[in-house]
Amino acid sequence: MLTYLRKRIISSAVPLLVVVVGVFALARMTGNPAALYLPLNATEAMREDFAIRNGLDQPIWVQMAQYFGGVLRFDFGTSMRTGESAADMALRAFPATLQLAGTTMLIAIVLAVIVGSAAALNPNGILDRFSSFVSMTAASIPDFWLAIVGIWVFAITLGWVPTSGVLGAAAWVLPVATLVMRPFGTLVQVVRGAMVSSLSEPYIKLARSKGATQYRVVGAHALRNAAAPGLTVAGDLTVGLVNGAVVVETIFGWPGIGKLMIDSILQRDFAVLQACVLLTAIAIFVLNILIDIGYALLDPRVRPSAGARGRRKARNEHRGQNNTPATTGTPTTSAPVPTAAIDA
Amino acid sequence: MFNSNTPMQRARRISMAVAAGALLSTTALAGCSVANSEDAAGGSAAPSATVSDTLRVVLQQEPPTLEACESNLTSTGVVVRSTITEPLIERNPTSGELEPKLATEWSSDDDTTWTLKLREGVKFHDGSDFTAEDAAATIERAVNSDLGCNVEGYVFGDDDLKVKAVNDTTIEVTAAKADPILPLRLSFLEVVPAETSATEKVREPIGTGPYKLDKWDAGQSINTSAFADYWGEAPAFAKANYQWRSEGSVRAAMITSGEADIATGLSPEDNIGDLGVAYPNNETVALRMHNDKAPFTDIKIRQAVNYAIDKESIVASLYGGRDKVASQLVPEGVVGHSDSLEAWPYDPEKAKSLVEEAKAAGVDTSAPISLIVRTAQFPKIEELGQVIQEQLSQAGLNVKLKMLETSQHLTYQVRPFPTDDEGAISLMIQHGNQAGDAAFTVDQYMTTKGAQSAFGTPELDKLIEEADASSEADRQAAFEKVFQYQNDNVVQFAHISHQTGMLGIASTVSYEPNSSSGDELRLAEVTAAK
Repeated sequence: MLTYLRKRIISSAVPLLVVVVGVFALARMTGNPAALYLPLNATEAMREDFAIRNGLDQPIWVQMAQYFGGVLRFDFGTSMRTGESAADMALRAFPATLQLAGTTMLIAIVLAVIVGSAAALNPNGILDRFSSFVSMTAASIPDFWLAIVGIWVFAITLGWVPTSGVLGAAAWVLPVATLVMRPFGTLVQVVRGAMVSSLSEPYIKLARSKGATQYRVVGAHALRNAAAPGLTVAGDLTVGLVNGAVVVETIFGWPGIGKLMIDSILQRDFAVLQACVLLTAIAIFVLNILIDIGYALLDPRVRPSAGARGRRKARNEHRGQNNTPATTGTPTTSAPVPTAAIDA
Repeated sequence: MFNSNTPMQRARRISMAVAAGALLSTTALAGCSVANSEDAAGGSAAPSATVSDTLRVVLQQEPPTLEACESNLTSTGVVVRSTITEPLIERNPTSGELEPKLATEWSSDDDTTWTLKLREGVKFHDGSDFTAEDAAATIERAVNSDLGCNVEGYVFGDDDLKVKAVNDTTIEVTAAKADPILPLRLSFLEVVPAETSATEKVREPIGTGPYKLDKWDAGQSINTSAFADYWGEAPAFAKANYQWRSEGSVRAAMITSGEADIATGLSPEDNIGDLGVAYPNNETVALRMHNDKAPFTDIKIRQAVNYAIDKESIVASLYGGRDKVASQLVPEGVVGHSDSLEAWPYDPEKAKSLVEEAKAAGVDTSAPISLIVRTAQFPKIEELGQVIQEQLSQAGLNVKLKMLETSQHLTYQVRPFPTDDEGAISLMIQHGNQAGDAAFTVDQYMTTKGAQSAFGTPELDKLIEEADASSEADRQAAFEKVFQYQNDNVVQFAHISHQTGMLGIASTVSYEPNSSSGDELRLAEVTAAK
């Protein structure tokens, strides 16, 4: 496992570097921030002074060398907008995003497992068709529309929850409810497809023939083997949320990293943008490792001993299963190895 | 049978339990509060419409800083000015008159050296006394230091001021040359203690204002409380709390649901209903035409643009009749505004004939014009751009609409201007004169080398120079002449409208907005509704 982790860290360093260098260079190509920070009638001397104070008078490669020199000393620069440490600003915003993403995904996964499993028990039945309709709708509704309608109905008309903000548990309801729709809708379809596939496998028949209860058949055998595709898709959805739920953070005044990142882009606040990108890139890298570890626990083919090719193959198969049509009972990809049945 | 206690399975279960535990603990934490958040003083989590001792304000954005010498920035000034800090002299936004604040009187014999008598018995929020030394240090710090204060460039330009504390209650300020509006310029400086760093900006100032800063929860709220030792009348609310939401509809919803008392930067589309209070905000919208490329090289084409735009209909249909058709860059109430100057009438036939005349004179009237508009600069700006594009096209001009975000738009706004390959530049500008004197407009927008002026003429430069140097009644007449000359002989601008702003004001509080409310929301003027 340690060897695997070491290899992942080394292989992730290059993309991380590319992302940071790319953001560094591209941000500076979008124009001189002086116009945003100085009065419109600022004199040429004031503009020069601003450039010198922020190191913008240097060639870009010198600026980059200075930036990476700072990063090695854990100095990520200072915000041009607020005068604060860029790292402090990013680290302050990130936990708020993580909390939102964690809560959203937990709710989405639990609901999706319950609804998806129930739907799979009777493919093409009423419950299956209803859950398919609901999940498709949930996955398709735009965030901003849902957020505004949610505020209008539940905050203004009914007065049950605050419109926005972060104070008190009630303030979580609308942002989480808005965010949970898409992951829930997507995951229901994935869980349902994988469960239909699992429930038609011989080891399920074997378990039933041995007298296992419905709860045990579904919970201990079918669900465990159906979990891998769900984990793949849930991982991808979580990555999207960790990257900042920009629309929801903006509408609800949630002080997360997505909003901070967008503000930094609009304000050409380079140091903060770079700190945000670096932080989220590292978080996504860590999340990917956790997802891989999750696979390894669920599927022996992806354990470190199975080699990179085996992991890739298994992961791609799980991704492919996301495309399983929700209303058909026939699995389109090969089913995961029935580990639970073997162990049983 | 189904033996589930193999070592492999146990290990797997433990791992699953740990993962689930981690996720649950995140959520449990989430159930309590957002990371780093604390319950803001008076900030109610649940909707409430009851009158409390806390005034709740919701802004468009979080102030980047509360540095007093950056308070000319709207997002900073709206919190700081005359609430946390105070100036020596304050401009009454309604009458335009200068009124005493931390200075009680001011005078000059030659418009160059000004003597200011300071108020006694004033304390800073840290308990120290306000003295002439503090007043002098404030001016030194904002105008003469290397801090790069925004207010320095905005109000004072390159020239330093000589400042001297004559005694504990008197200072003397000397300008580089005669400056009849120096007291007005000084009204932009918010006073801080002499001990305030002159080498670094401070995010949280110590002031003398009616409210003192208690806590700034970055990203979430700013909390203030009434300053017990305030020299003036105590404010109506014991506490004041600021939050911010980018979406206008959410700010409006916070008013209607009782979560906030005052919301800034609203528009009628935000569904604020009767709780939305409109006020003239001193902002003027215009097109600035650059004469370096055809067809704008010919004044006839620039005149045609003025005739082609149906300003009355724009104001009536896009802005509900609240805005006023503009004939100049400053609205009523600003020194220099000309009441007699009439807006260009809407005359599409005249516009067409002027374009034909220019064409006959050899001007390439089919040359492309870039109509450059900043996305989301003010409500319905996209629609306004489209209407103008259509009306200019009907006059026979070849106009392309170019929507740009703020940073890109600013490159066109300030010298040096980019050379637009796509055609002659017509930039939509929104200009706000918060100082109340036309000098702050014309020096920028109309002189030959003004930072935001595309071109000018020597004659206009001379008129502006004379107006800048004149005082009182002469000053008014001199600037009126400047605006008339622009419209008759230069035609750099096609003026469209003087705008109105809108505040959301809950029925629980009472506040009369004025032209400065968007930049300087004086919380001491807000009272509980009777």
